[in-house]
Amino acid sequence: MKNRETWDRQRGVIRSRKGGWFAGKGAFSHGYSILEELVGEASYFQMLTLNVLGVLPERRLADWLEAVHICLSWPDPRIWCNQIGALAGTARASVVAATSAGVLAADSTMYGSRPLLDGVAFIQQALRDHQDGLSAAEIVQREVQKHRGKVRITGYARPLASGDERIPPMEQLTTRLGFEHGPHLTLAYAIEEVLRLDYKESMNINGYVSAFLSDQGFNAEQIYRLFAMVVMSGVTACYVDTLERPAETFLPLRCDDIDYQGPPPRDVP
Amino acid sequence: MTEPTDQHRVERRADRFTERAATRIWHEEPAADNPYLAVAARCHGYELSQLMQRCSFPQVLFLLFRGELPDVRQTQLLERLMIGLINPGPRHPATRAAMNAGVGKTDASHVLPIALMVLGGGHLGAAEVEPSMRFLRKAVDRPPQQVAVELMAQYEELPGDPDRHLVAGFGRRFGSADVLAAGIADELIAIAGVGSVLAWGRDFAAQLREHQMGWLATGVAAAAFCDLGFMPRAAAGLFQLLCAPGLLAHGVELANKPVTALPWISDDDYVIEDEK
Repeated sequence: MKNRETWDRQRGVIRSRKGGWFAGKGAFSHGYSILEELVGEASYFQMLTLNVLGVLPERRLADWLEAVHICLSWPDPRIWCNQIGALAGTARASVVAATSAGVLAADSTMYGSRPLLDGVAFIQQALRDHQDGLSAAEIVQREVQKHRGKVRITGYARPLASGDERIPPMEQLTTRLGFEHGPHLTLAYAIEEVLRLDYKESMNINGYVSAFLSDQGFNAEQIYRLFAMVVMSGVTACYVDTLERPAETFLPLRCDDIDYQGPPPRDVP
Repeated sequence: MTEPTDQHRVERRADRFTERAATRIWHEEPAADNPYLAVAARCHGYELSQLMQRCSFPQVLFLLFRGELPDVRQTQLLERLMIGLINPGPRHPATRAAMNAGVGKTDASHVLPIALMVLGGGHLGAAEVEPSMRFLRKAVDRPPQQVAVELMAQYEELPGDPDRHLVAGFGRRFGSADVLAAGIADELIAIAGVGSVLAWGRDFAAQLREHQMGWLATGVAAAAFCDLGFMPRAAAGLFQLLCAPGLLAHGVELANKPVTALPWISDDDYVIEDEK
């Protein structure tokens, strides 16, 4: 039998690259004493980034991340993850179950945190292609050809609606915090310009976040990890709203509100 | 309030949403005096009380997903599979998550969802089953030996990741072929005429033996799901469902015990490395 060393070495031992809590000595994250160096000094999003990515970002980047989280979670139960929160409330689940369920729902290829993986992958590849000589128009043409003439670029052409009202306030904040446009964001705008003129489509918040955070040096997986809980507050809000009303009164369904399309009644053989 | 510029002006797209959710699975018959209250339920046309009287649980589970009742072999295969997968065992990370939740006095209704989320992983978990089904459905028409040779030629031994799977559902566990998973597969294959994908998987696993590889539990589930005609999209959830009883049982077993009933790693055995 070969190579059980990998597991034998780990038996009964925890090796951490993160930190830990040692009774009487304190709690540590990536070398920082959490209680002595971070509480009251770092913002929650600085701490979150430190825990998740292992680097303590400057305050303005943490503030930017916090702001975009505000953009990405609204208390409207028509949004799928929020509706799960509302259903949990009407079914009298706990607030933690409701919120966790909604957060889990947003681990979706359609919305929430996971599309950032594709959004970042696209803009980072696009920049490499651009640096190799492709223009924004050529990049758009290539992507549109892949999908038989349709704009299916993650980060552009938002589902349900065209345009994205979340970008202008984030642009203002980006400027106010003193961030320059890096190469990813510059290219993202050039791509948007092509899409706007040729297809009447625009960048969405995913595209903006993907390009901005790529300019900050993050990769796709790091950004996905940072946004794990992005829909949390809207889910909890929708949960509370239905919890405080009578049970099962959130969008109640009569039997015939379900369109049964299966076989007619039959006997079990 | 910020005024959106022209390119950010928001207009709803012309998506047409359905007025009612549709299902082919379940019909609820309303009470004459209360349209919200069901007086009868039918699964693909069969009345629930008749199913309760005349069918086994595996038959009705099959009916839910396939739309028809299974034949004798399909019933036997699903029932054996359900028993084979009923417990990933107390060392599987998902079971240990349930045990942690139990001993940690987590709300009882959360124990199973917690464990199932961990069981959703891509290593010996639900996320491996669908890719395994897709692999098997493609590979089953080719000689197992040829597929094994091709995959082994591409396989790179990584010292830092010795259990990296050869392909979804097949590989090593703790450096060796998983004997228990192979035993579960054999019990399924022993049902006469049970299906071509399980048989192909057995022959494929045999080709991997010299590399200390073979069936993994996820591959066994995937092959059985193929032979049962389940859709790959259902595979992750079905695997979670079939493993759920054991996860819950282990969680509940710890729930009434003191927090000291699971080991606590001492500070001496807690090593911080490369922290910055």
